[in-house]
Amino acid sequence: MARQFRDIEDVIERLGRLGYVADRALATAIYLLLNLGKPLLIEGPAGVGKTEAAKALAAMLETELIRLQCYEGLDLNSAVYEWNYQKQLLAIKIQEGSDKTVEEKENYVFGSNFLLKRPLLQSILSEERAPVLLVDEIDRADEAFEAFLLELLAEFQITIPELGTIQAKRVPHVILTSNSSRELSDALKRRCLYHWIDYPDLAKELEIVRVRLPEIDGDLSSEVVRFVHTIRDLNLSKPPGVSETIDLSRSLILLEKTKLDQEAAEETLGCILKSADDLTKVRSEGLSRLLSRSGGS
Amino acid sequence: MSRPRTKSIVEFCRFARANGVSAGTKETIDCLQVAEAIADADRDTFRFALRAILTSSADEWVLFDDLFTAFWANPDPTSESLSKNPARRRLAPPSLRHESGSRMVTAFGNGSEPEGEGEQKRFSGASAVERLRKVDFSQMPQTDLAELERIALRLLRRMSYRVARRLRARKRRGSIDLRRTIRRSICRGGEFLDLCYKGPKKERAKVVILLDVSDSMNPYSFFLLKLAYVLGKYSREVKSFIFSTILVEVSNLLRTPRMSDALRTLAQMTAGWSGGTRIGESLRDFNAHHAAALLSRHTVVIVLSDGWDTGAPEELAAELKKIRRRVAKVIWLNPLLGLEEYRPVTRGISAALPFIDVFAPAHNLQSLLALEEHLRPGR
Repeated sequence: MARQFRDIEDVIERLGRLGYVADRALATAIYLLLNLGKPLLIEGPAGVGKTEAAKALAAMLETELIRLQCYEGLDLNSAVYEWNYQKQLLAIKIQEGSDKTVEEKENYVFGSNFLLKRPLLQSILSEERAPVLLVDEIDRADEAFEAFLLELLAEFQITIPELGTIQAKRVPHVILTSNSSRELSDALKRRCLYHWIDYPDLAKELEIVRVRLPEIDGDLSSEVVRFVHTIRDLNLSKPPGVSETIDLSRSLILLEKTKLDQEAAEETLGCILKSADDLTKVRSEGLSRLLSRSGGS
Repeated sequence: MSRPRTKSIVEFCRFARANGVSAGTKETIDCLQVAEAIADADRDTFRFALRAILTSSADEWVLFDDLFTAFWANPDPTSESLSKNPARRRLAPPSLRHESGSRMVTAFGNGSEPEGEGEQKRFSGASAVERLRKVDFSQMPQTDLAELERIALRLLRRMSYRVARRLRARKRRGSIDLRRTIRRSICRGGEFLDLCYKGPKKERAKVVILLDVSDSMNPYSFFLLKLAYVLGKYSREVKSFIFSTILVEVSNLLRTPRMSDALRTLAQMTAGWSGGTRIGESLRDFNAHHAAALLSRHTVVIVLSDGWDTGAPEELAAELKKIRRRVAKVIWLNPLLGLEEYRPVTRGISAALPFIDVFAPAHNLQSLLALEEHLRPGR
């Protein structure tokens, strides 16, 4: 990959062209990911563009994005591979009358036609280009899975008893994201590069909104971003992320609002506040007060 | 790359490591490699690159910038000049900060003296068990330990199993495990006579006990140690530590077949400890050496302490927060909570409260029994 991206400026510029506003620190981390071949662990609050970073990277490299969403109880059958048992059973029945030898039958039934490839297996099977493997919200999976992942990230090979060991032809670029709801194992963290994405400052968030929604009115976008920043300072249980800012802007465009006044804010509050407690809290602060506070700053 | 630059990067990695950034030699090598690749980059880019490589958590991420500034601001960063630097915060080894106390721990000595015997002898029959449960440990005769053992066992059974979401092969009920069913059918000529099922797997919860044996805990530590002994005897998943100013793992010791032997060894071991409490430092020690191996999302950490801490309350809070982030539950058992006039206002405890899930008394058997509620399987 080093040949493609000579320097960090190049990474920033290319991501920018794809609509992803990366600061220098993140671009450096991505540059290192490509050059050192290490996985990149991105942590940060919800909705600040952790997943988007992986999507943008895939788009930038013009390669496939393979995503594994983690959840509690994620097991190897849904992360790596599974045989399509029903199809195998049918195949066995169909072959019953044929004069194939037992070995031929077995090879057929355990052929790749019957293998359901889950994200991790897919990621090492790519022939052409190294894909981007996004392991999303790794903190939700359990330690056993983390340990398996660690092994995969070290060797990039997967063993299927019936087929043998499959070695990655193209080593995927791995991005892991975590909402840091729990501490990840030290071993996993040690293996990864680390990047912390926080809520962007006013200028950067404004830039993000304008890049993502080029049609937005200049004044409206700065009103929206200021308003969201004011709300973020309220110490809510679920502070709105950048994706919420974009949702709000998009809703306002859709509703053909040109100004974020009290009425418009009231109608679209659901875009940025996602819990009843937070709604009550913001209402008790007074929308008009919040709006004037954000306007005045 | 020039020799001095290589040297200073290596120095910096060591400096960062000494100040709490958990990076190894591999990371140092990566740094050197990268520094070469981006040799003509500006200072910020250089900082971002080293930060991405060396840090691995939000805390380290914040710490890193200070370290970077502190280190590179110094024109000749040798370790001597750095030790005078105010940014070198955590470099002093903990042992240097201990002023060795002369008081002896008598915590385990209690066992041999049947204290308060006269008062308790009158109890008999069913009501005696009831009354016994309410007797403060500090006044309890040591012959009434059978009840304690019974309660400990009951607690253990409670917390032994949690139901995991992951499915595993199982004989009955649940969904059909096709993989195994097909395997099993081979010996029947491909006919599915035996069906295999899978259902939720049961996992044992791990328990870590941190027991305060300082002077102020004296009346209670003997009994709580017995609790730890009983829990440890029946489950390998229980790890016990004792601390006052230093932290010592006693899991194996508590597995000695005879309790009296175990306690005698402990008493010898702790003789000469100072009687003060440094909970924060002890927890830091725990985090540094044992946390990675012992703590997981299925772990319940039980701290048995009265919270009288002579160390800094901020340290206690910070270390407890680290523990809390890794585990299922932090239970703090405080014998003083049994006293009616007690309010958790000691600085240590009030700093720690936000990171405690269950703050409960542990001064008598009844209070231990009440714990059952908090040790239910699940998260």
